[in-house]
Amino acid sequence: MAFTLYSLMQAALLCVNAIAVLHEERFLKNIGWGTDQGIGGFGEEPGIKSQLMNLIRSVRTVMRVPLIIVNSITIVLLLLFG
Amino acid sequence: MHATGLAAPAGTPRLRKWPSKRRVPVSQPGMADPHQFFDDTSSAPSRGYGGQPSPGGLGYPPSSSDAAFLAAPMSNMAMVYGSSLAAQGKELVDKNIDRFIPVSKLKYYFAVDTVYVGKKLGLLVFPYLHQDWEVQYQQDTPVAPRFDINAPDLYIPAMAFITYILVAGLALGTQDRFSPDLLGLQASSALAWLTLEVVAILLSLYLVTVNTDLTTIDLVAFLGYKYVGMIGGVLTGLLFGKIGYYLVLAWCCVSIFVFMIRTLRLKILAQAAAEGVPVRGARNQLRMYLTMAVAAAQPVLMYWLTFHLVR
Repeated sequence: MAFTLYSLMQAALLCVNAIAVLHEERFLKNIGWGTDQGIGGFGEEPGIKSQLMNLIRSVRTVMRVPLIIVNSITIVLLLLFG
Repeated sequence: MHATGLAAPAGTPRLRKWPSKRRVPVSQPGMADPHQFFDDTSSAPSRGYGGQPSPGGLGYPPSSSDAAFLAAPMSNMAMVYGSSLAAQGKELVDKNIDRFIPVSKLKYYFAVDTVYVGKKLGLLVFPYLHQDWEVQYQQDTPVAPRFDINAPDLYIPAMAFITYILVAGLALGTQDRFSPDLLGLQASSALAWLTLEVVAILLSLYLVTVNTDLTTIDLVAFLGYKYVGMIGGVLTGLLFGKIGYYLVLAWCCVSIFVFMIRTLRLKILAQAAAEGVPVRGARNQLRMYLTMAVAAAQPVLMYWLTFHLVR
């Protein structure tokens, strides 16, 4: 079983990077997932799509700086230790 | 004389905390015999040292110059200062640990006793006759696991996880495949799957906007109950071969499936389940699917984490 905590962390870092690179203007608006297109008024439940859009936007906002730091550290460590 | 006497143990690792001053020409009041290497703690003048607990420990008798060093007021102050520093450090750690690990909340999950553990283990392998799955509340806080069998606890999952690692090592050993780093690999793998499950379920709960009081620790507790079935399966597999393994694993898988559905239904589908009404409506249906998916993932993981142990 090669599924270790380390590979989980690597996968998590890659996934968060993937979410963070989705560009708001060039990509998300074109497929209708822009954050200004999802407001459905004050209904009881937001629905999965608007929750997802909120999640993407919040990941982009919150994880921008930590991702820079963690990515730099990862790059340096991988360069040094392979 | 003292110098030569003390030069001999210089090469050995010093067990004393305080360095012995060999060249201090002090006339010791208790030193009747200049050739005496060890302090005569039975006599009165060296009572000042003999009264204190030996800092060197391990029964290495200090010399007379040590006694002079320790009796000095500076060493007393140093010891008091050192102990106060340690007390301050401990206070700091105690204050800040609550920010990272919610210790007080964790204590609730370990408030178990033998009767509860026995009943809960029985419930995990035979949940079909249990009627009332609600957790009792006492003025807004859930009752401790000791008093209510339906309350989640972390004792059983933690113990079951450790036992699973040990049983995995045993199983690998009987097949001559054991090596110590494999134990670490098993532990890491099981922990990684647990983390992945918790993250996936939390993500799905967020996306489906379920208003539930299911905390993360509750979720870890519920997901940790499957290790009990896994241990049973592997042990039976060791005793009775593959047939025993498959039988017990199948039984435990079905039991865990039913257990999870009945427990999570109350947490995720709160309103509908409380009335006992079959769930209808798109939102409730989505929640039902989520519960079924979580419960169905348990047998899959139970098989995935144990099949390579039983050959």
